Amino acid sequence: DPTRCDPGEEVIKFSHIVNTDRHPKGIAAELLRERVNAEMDGIACMEVYGSSTLYNDDQVLEAMLQGDVQLAAPSLSKFEAFTKQFRIFDLPFLFANMEAVDEFQSSDVAQAMKSGMEHRGLVGLEFWHNGMKQITANAPVLVPEDMAGLKMRVQSADVIIAQMDALGASSQPMAFPEVYGALQTGVVDGQQNTYSNIYGQKFFEVQDGVTETNHLLLDYMVVTSVDWWDSMTPEFREQFSTILAEVTEARNGEAERVNQEAKQAILDAGGIVRELTAEQRQMWVDAMQPVWKQFEAEIGAENIQAAQEINTRVTSGN
Amino acid sequence: MNLPDNRGLVLGVDQFERIAIAVLLGLMTLTTFANVVLRYIFNSTLIWGLEVTLILFAWLVLFGMSYCVKVTAHLGVDALLNVLPSRARFTLTAIAGLACLIYAALLLKGAWDYWAPYAALNRTSGRWLPTGFAETRSQAWYLTDQVPMPAVLSWLEPLINMGERYDRLPRVVGYTMLPVGVALLLFRLLQAFYELLQGVRSSFIVSHEVEAEVAEAQARLKSQET
Amino acid sequence: MGVVLLFCLVIGLLLIGVPIAISLGLSSIIFLLAFSDSSLGSIAQTFFQAMAGHYTLLAIPFFILASSFMSTGGVAQRIIRFSIALVGHLPGGLAIAGVFSCMMFAALSGSSPATVVAIGTIVIAGMRQVGYTKEFAAGVICNAGTLGILIPPSIVMVVYASATDVSVGRMFLAGVIPGLLAGTLLMVTIYFIARVRDMPKGRWQGWGEIWASGRDAVWGLFLIVIILGGIYGGIFTPTEAAAVAAVYAFVIACFVYRDMGPLAAQAGDGQDAMLRIAGGRSLSAAATPHANKSTLLQKPWALLTAFVHRDTVNTLFEAGKLTVTLMFIIANALILKQVLTDEQVPQQIATAMLSVGFGPIMFLVIVNVMLLIGGQFMEPSGLIVIVAPLVFPIAMELGIDPIHLGIIMVVNMEIGMITPPVGLNLFVTSGVANMSVMGVVKAALPFLMVLFCFLILVTYVPWISTFLPTYFMGPEIIPQ
Ligand code: NA
Ligand code: NA
Repeated sequence: DPTRCDPGEEVIKFSHIVNTDRHPKGIAAELLRERVNAEMDGIACMEVYGSSTLYNDDQVLEAMLQGDVQLAAPSLSKFEAFTKQFRIFDLPFLFANMEAVDEFQSSDVAQAMKSGMEHRGLVGLEFWHNGMKQITANAPVLVPEDMAGLKMRVQSADVIIAQMDALGASSQPMAFPEVYGALQTGVVDGQQNTYSNIYGQKFFEVQDGVTETNHLLLDYMVVTSVDWWDSMTPEFREQFSTILAEVTEARNGEAERVNQEAKQAILDAGGIVRELTAEQRQMWVDAMQPVWKQFEAEIGAENIQAAQEINTRVTSGN
Repeated sequence: MNLPDNRGLVLGVDQFERIAIAVLLGLMTLTTFANVVLRYIFNSTLIWGLEVTLILFAWLVLFGMSYCVKVTAHLGVDALLNVLPSRARFTLTAIAGLACLIYAALLLKGAWDYWAPYAALNRTSGRWLPTGFAETRSQAWYLTDQVPMPAVLSWLEPLINMGERYDRLPRVVGYTMLPVGVALLLFRLLQAFYELLQGVRSSFIVSHEVEAEVAEAQARLKSQET
Repeated sequence: MGVVLLFCLVIGLLLIGVPIAISLGLSSIIFLLAFSDSSLGSIAQTFFQAMAGHYTLLAIPFFILASSFMSTGGVAQRIIRFSIALVGHLPGGLAIAGVFSCMMFAALSGSSPATVVAIGTIVIAGMRQVGYTKEFAAGVICNAGTLGILIPPSIVMVVYASATDVSVGRMFLAGVIPGLLAGTLLMVTIYFIARVRDMPKGRWQGWGEIWASGRDAVWGLFLIVIILGGIYGGIFTPTEAAAVAAVYAFVIACFVYRDMGPLAAQAGDGQDAMLRIAGGRSLSAAATPHANKSTLLQKPWALLTAFVHRDTVNTLFEAGKLTVTLMFIIANALILKQVLTDEQVPQQIATAMLSVGFGPIMFLVIVNVMLLIGGQFMEPSGLIVIVAPLVFPIAMELGIDPIHLGIIMVVNMEIGMITPPVGLNLFVTSGVANMSVMGVVKAALPFLMVLFCFLILVTYVPWISTFLPTYFMGPEIIPQ
């Protein structure tokens, strides 16, 4: 019976923190669940726990190492605890566009990073996209100088905090449910997120506008635990990996469209989106790029090099 | 247990527990307050403030729960017990005490299993009862997000992190209060159960949360009437 | 139907005298180990992360601490004096002033029992001395004290917000109109009872006393401005507001009112001052004597010693102890929530209810009944942790405003607090008024009816709850 977990089926628990019907990650998880339950009926059965009902992003990895959950897809920053190489994904302006991200994530460098956590008990399976982050604030922001003195709600990851320092803004860590209220009342001045999150959380309503910087990537990685993965038969792993890869390809292809739709929805709702000229964009790059040097040793200069080569290839239309 | 010759020790321990509870809450408040002040006066923030406050919050509850057993401060329902004859009341309370002990024992195994990998130790095997130790992959490398590593804890590096330097406070530090607190809880429950059998204690619960203040208020009213 | 078994086990353990927290925890642990594949380690994780992983709940210890400093620091007496100056001359004046004092103290404190203790100890004694019956006095205060969790700040609202991911600030704002309304209903009821029964009224003491008492109370009442102004003025998050409130209350208690700490009058004298206010004769005219207190100029070192003074440590300890007992229940309720999530109980209930075709009204009736029954056994915060995830998804499905649902839950909790067998306010009032619990139950009954009508009103007129948050913070967004 594909609708429920029958005795003898391997139970796969997938815990994430977003809704199951609108958020790119939630939609992908649902699609994965439907396909696994239909195609692996009798072998496996997948249960999805969304909206942080089971664990938040931090606790889910602990629970996975403990064997209490089998699948999760936290944002890439969460893996910096496992290997600092993952800080590469938090470098500002590292990827020219999502095409470059795709290329990089399928490169040998990124594949090595996925398996680079195995000694700590995790296996990376696939990268899932959300998209590029934009900056929102309660005052017009066009050039890096506009950020000076702003209190920005950011994820508490070192690279991201260093970027804010480089801009002269101060970083304020804050629980996600408090962000809307804090932006509205002015406890914090701004935040950075993808269009789909800015629209989904209605942040644009309580901000002066969105500045389209595309400076940072917000992506997720589907992971499982080494112990569980190794205890499955090769056929199981093969079949599951194939389904997951197909779901990933289908949903990642949609990510850009989802964000563009969200952008349009923000504009339709009367929100302001400020696009940058080439010169303005270069000013942001110049202001933030010193951060690269700061983290180069941990990330590996050759990895950054690899990402830049991909950028050149993608932007030159090759 | 409460022999006259260790009265001083008992009082000393009690004083220590009270002060520890007060200090934990005081530190939580001051850290949070300091961050507000820093934000407005210096436009900066202690990036680790929130994380440290949350760890202290967990410590407060984990450390305090055993004290609340000792002074019978945990809330419960005594409506049924109050209408029963004393014999039945005693029997049910004894069963309640056993239930509390089972709870603490199970939670202690859980606390060890959760904490052990962070301390580079092995989890116990067995689902309900520990049946031995199971080979466990060390998680001593797992750090807090932003809490700095104090130099006084550098002895942890050779001990559990294979000599590798910690550039943040490892998670094990905050988590250690979990097995400690639950072990204290088990100890205080054992002590309370013993007191019940000795006839020194009649219950594991207080029927409301402000007994002390009410007693104080009553004393005040009484002194006023006379 | 293992879940039915689970709840039977919880109630069985409760009835034989197992602490609420351990009843919830033990039942859930047995259930998880026997019927699911969760490990004991995951239960310990849930337990630890109940504190370390819940930023929102962090407001609880701070609000408790602020309330403790306010109670020991003499704010209650000043609020009562101010209330008497304002409304003491009306028929039933002292009773009305008692309700008014509870409302004001509720705006400083996040808990109902704390409100009863702070106001009740003084007002009940005072009411008896001027000729009210003990029953009437106890009934009034027992009910008015429940406003502690409806008028912001409110610990129960913090727990609801944490369980459902709605904004704490929004919930607080939503409690303002219902809180004022409920208080007004109680005062109007007392006024008419007093007219009919010809109850004692105080004497009008003139605008001078209103001014003097108001000026004296204003330091305490300024906390309302700090908490609400701070949150809505964009200065603090609700959690920070709670911490700032605690520090402010400490400063006021130690350095302005000087009823505690190094500047307070020496042993005995301070008690005297409180008694004189509590005593009936001088209830209205009492001004706190400053004679025996020291000033900062006399003892400048008090700026440092205040932090380690015996009174400060004791207040911190008492607030800490209360936090521990409350959070111990909430942490174990979160383990029970883990069972419900694991067994997908909310989804099952949602499917069942929606397939029967319940509309919003029938649904809200069921929620009310469920909470009223649950409130008979459980401490409010723990109950919210368990019930909110059960009913929240259905409410969203039925298009009920999450803030409105939250206020309905809070009002149910208020009623649960004054109905037997478990009603925190009943126990506290019985202690404060020196009456049997059943005596208080009977005494509280007429006013309980007022709260009950109020519950119906709040349930079916969502506007009462949603107007202010919508006006100030825009329409509610469904989380995520
Ligand atoms: Na309140
Ligand atoms: Na009740």
